[in-house]
Amino acid sequence: MGKQARTTARQQRIAQAAAARRRARRNRIFVASGGLVIVGLLVAIVVTLVNAAGGGSRANVDAPTTLVAPAGATAAGAIQVGDPAAPVKLEVYLDYMCPFCGRFDRANADQLNRLVADGTVRLEIYPLSFLDKTSNGTRYSTRAANAAATVADRAPDKLLAFTQALFAQQPHEGSDGLTNDQIANLAHGAGVPQDVINTFVDRTFEPWIAKLTDTAFASGITGTPTLKINGTVFKGDLYTVGPLTDAITAAKGQ
Amino acid sequence: MAELLTRVRGLRHANAWIYGTMLVSASLSLVASFVLSIDAVRLAADPQTTLSCNINSVISCGTVASSWQASLLGFPNAFLGLVAEPVVITVAVASLGGVRFPRWFMFTAQVVYTIGVLFAYWLFYQSMFHIGALCPWCLLVTVSTTLVFATLTHVNIRDGNLPLPPRIQSALKNAVAADLDAMAVTIWLLVLTLAVVSKYGTTLFG
Repeated sequence: MGKQARTTARQQRIAQAAAARRRARRNRIFVASGGLVIVGLLVAIVVTLVNAAGGGSRANVDAPTTLVAPAGATAAGAIQVGDPAAPVKLEVYLDYMCPFCGRFDRANADQLNRLVADGTVRLEIYPLSFLDKTSNGTRYSTRAANAAATVADRAPDKLLAFTQALFAQQPHEGSDGLTNDQIANLAHGAGVPQDVINTFVDRTFEPWIAKLTDTAFASGITGTPTLKINGTVFKGDLYTVGPLTDAITAAKGQ
Repeated sequence: MAELLTRVRGLRHANAWIYGTMLVSASLSLVASFVLSIDAVRLAADPQTTLSCNINSVISCGTVASSWQASLLGFPNAFLGLVAEPVVITVAVASLGGVRFPRWFMFTAQVVYTIGVLFAYWLFYQSMFHIGALCPWCLLVTVSTTLVFATLTHVNIRDGNLPLPPRIQSALKNAVAADLDAMAVTIWLLVLTLAVVSKYGTTLFG
C-alpha cells in the first residue's frame, strides 16, 4: 500500500468515526427528548384521570337529599299521564339520553298522543338516570328526568309534549347533553308555564329519580326502552309505527 | 447494569421477541374481531333485543355497532379482522419456526397492513368524534393493530425488505437500532390513552 492510499484510508476511518459519534449524539438527544415527552404524557394522563374521578362527586355536592315524589306518581316511581280509567296501562322505562328511547319516541309520538287523548291508554313513564355516565359528568339524564318530574308535578298536561320535545332535540350519547337553559327553552316551547320552568334548577326530584332507577332495575328491568302493556313486556318492533298500536288495540279488546 | 440493558436491547431485535409480539397482538385482534362479529350477526338477526341501552353496558348503548361506519363496505368491519389476522398469525408462527419469507412477500404484507392500520384509525376517529360512544373491543383492535404494524415495520426495516432509497433505509435502520421505534410507539400509545381518558374519563368513573 502506498503512502497516499494509507493516508486516504486513515482519513476515511476518522471521518467514519466522526459520523458514528455524531449519530450517537443525535440518538441520545432523541432518546432524552422522547423520554421527556413520555414523562409529560404520563403526568397528563394521571392528572386527567384524577380530575375525572373527582368531577363526578363534585356535581352532587348541593343536590337535595329529601325524597320528594311528584304529585300523582305511583309507588313504583312512575309518572302518570292520561285518563286513570283508561283500559290499557302502558308502562315506559326510558332514559332521556338513551338513543333508542329517542328513536322509539320519534316513531310513536303521534300514535301515543292520539291513544292517550282518546282515553285508550294511560301512560306510566319511568324517567331513569342510569345513563348519567354518558354525558361527560353533566348528568344529563338526571337533569332531564328532574325537569320532566317537575312538569309532571305542576303541569302534568304538558308532560308528553315536553318529553317529545326533549327527544326531538336529543343530544348524542357521550356529549355534554343539553344545557339547563336549552332544557328550559324546550319546556317553554312545550307550553310549560314559566314559574314551573324556574323551579327546574331546584333539583327537587333528583333523589326520587335515583331511587326509582334503583327500584326499576331491582324489579328486573334490564335496559331502555322497555315497554309493558298491562304488565306484560312488549317484545315487538318499537321503531316503526304500527306494531305497538296494534298490540295496544288488541289489549283494549280483551 | 449497562450489560443487562445491552442484552435487553439485543433481545428486542431478536426474531423471538418481534414475532412473539406480533403473534400475541394479532391473536388479541382476532379475539376482538370475533366478539365484534358475533355482536354484528346478533344485531342483524334480532335488532330488537340489541337496540336498547342495557344497564350492564358499561360505556355505551351499542350505537357504535349500529352506525354506518361499522359496516363501511356493506358488511361488518370486524369480518375484515377475521380474514386478515389469521394471515398475520400464520406469518408470525412460521417466522418463529425459522421460515424466511421473500422480500416481495414482506413488502406486500407491509402495504396491506398499512391500509388496515389507517382504516383502524379512521374508525377510532369516527367513534371518538362523530359517533361519540366508546367501544372497548374496538379500542383493543386499535391498540393491537398498532402493535402488529410496529413489529412488522420493525422487522422489515431491520431486514431491508422495503424498497427505499439507501439513505432513508440507513437512517431508518439506525433509528431502529437505537430503539427510537419503540419510543415512537410508546409515545403514540400514550397519546391514544390521553385522548381516551380526556374524552371518556368521566364516563369511566361516573
